[in-house]
Amino acid sequence: MKVVVDLKLCEGNMRCQEAAPEVFEVGDDDRSRVLIENPTGATLERVRLAARLCPRQAITIEDK
Amino acid sequence: MQAEQQQFSLDTLNIIGPDHYAKNGYPHAEWTYLRKQKPVFWCEFPNTDPFWAITKYADIVQISKQPRLFNNSQRLLVFVPDAPAEPDPVPPFRHLLNMDPPDHGDFRSIVSRRFTPRAVRELEPEIERITGEVLDRMVDRTSCDFVIDISSKIPLAVIAELLGVPHQDWEKLFRWTNQVIGGGDPEFQEGTNSDETFDRARMELFTYFTDMVARRMKNPTNDITSIVANSSINGTPMPQFEMLSYYFLLVVAGNETTRNATTGGLLALIENPEQFHRLKQDRSLVKSAVEEIVRWTSPVIQFARTATQDTEVRAQKIRQGESVCLFYPSANRDEDVFENPFKFDVGRNPNPHIAFGIGEHFCLGANLARLELEVIFRQLAERLDYAELAGPVERLRSSFVGGIKHMPIKCQMKPATMQ
Repeated sequence: MKVVVDLKLCEGNMRCQEAAPEVFEVGDDDRSRVLIENPTGATLERVRLAARLCPRQAITIEDK
Repeated sequence: MQAEQQQFSLDTLNIIGPDHYAKNGYPHAEWTYLRKQKPVFWCEFPNTDPFWAITKYADIVQISKQPRLFNNSQRLLVFVPDAPAEPDPVPPFRHLLNMDPPDHGDFRSIVSRRFTPRAVRELEPEIERITGEVLDRMVDRTSCDFVIDISSKIPLAVIAELLGVPHQDWEKLFRWTNQVIGGGDPEFQEGTNSDETFDRARMELFTYFTDMVARRMKNPTNDITSIVANSSINGTPMPQFEMLSYYFLLVVAGNETTRNATTGGLLALIENPEQFHRLKQDRSLVKSAVEEIVRWTSPVIQFARTATQDTEVRAQKIRQGESVCLFYPSANRDEDVFENPFKFDVGRNPNPHIAFGIGEHFCLGANLARLELEVIFRQLAERLDYAELAGPVERLRSSFVGGIKHMPIKCQMKPATMQ
């Protein structure tokens, strides 16, 4: 399991950080950074929500 | 509005004719029927190429997430002219809405940092001031046309200031926007038909910004006009046609949608007085109220995509070259996503509406629109003591943008409270 943000798509709309602040951090460069790449449990659920809410659909959760 | 049980014949059902929108507003009963019976529905109408009508939320998301499989450049939207029209050999503009990856991303990134939540937050004091001044003018009046006097004024001022257009020219921006979006409506038509109206407005706007570009190239400033005028794409200066098209898009998109969300939002609050009361009592609901207003009004009715290869949507085969028409207001009433979708609820949570689209072409100005609406409805909740309709709501004759041209109201506006 790996959480990936496509930086070509990300524009810093902040939805991910609002949904899962422990996993996503939007920096001064208006790009989202993944703090925990393989979250589990309730955190993973919040990451799935973030992926759904991302306006530009920049977040993917890759199964490994 | 709760026409969930209505039956229609698929042979005569009409969801794209502009007259329906002018007379009745959105065809929610028809969309509701299609979501249940025929969510991927082949439509043939006079004067326009056939298309698949997509009415389910999940399908619109799925299509929007695949900009290479479903492109924008071949068909921007389903346009329904009043008479058979010759297809344009060359599109009249080339901007973000009819570009595909990778160009789309390259052009978009030139201004996208001006529209992030962080960047637009800096505009808040200015939007507060503009909104306050517009409302101040209502204090001594007991009635107004909410569109002309209030809802059109604020987004116009905001986008004009972002572009650096001087005050004396704002009326031009307003007129061009009306003619581009409302060219199919007799009130805004100039010349013989919507095409001619559209083209005159486009040419006037292009000419206006050609002058402005020359000035900004000589003396760069910090406004968006200057940023675009002095931009490069992969090391090459942006071509003039794309540059002028960029301004065309920003002017039109910046005006029309927020205006209609504002008007439709107040209309929803007038029609649901208990929700207006609730918002006035609890201003912490402003953010969720704005999201609900955007879901409820969904000012953009549709955009199209064209399949670049054979594919499927909801097990329906879509052939290469066929287009799909994404009906956003229908997605935002989808029973599979929203509880009581036909209830206007200023506290709705969650509210994952897609009125701004989703994916590659997600509305560039969404954060700005949200902020404008937040400021407007916060001030209205504070200052608008009373409002009721004083005449019929006049709707735009368009199946692209759900416009309200005029909304006469009786109202009582309080002076601003001193800070």
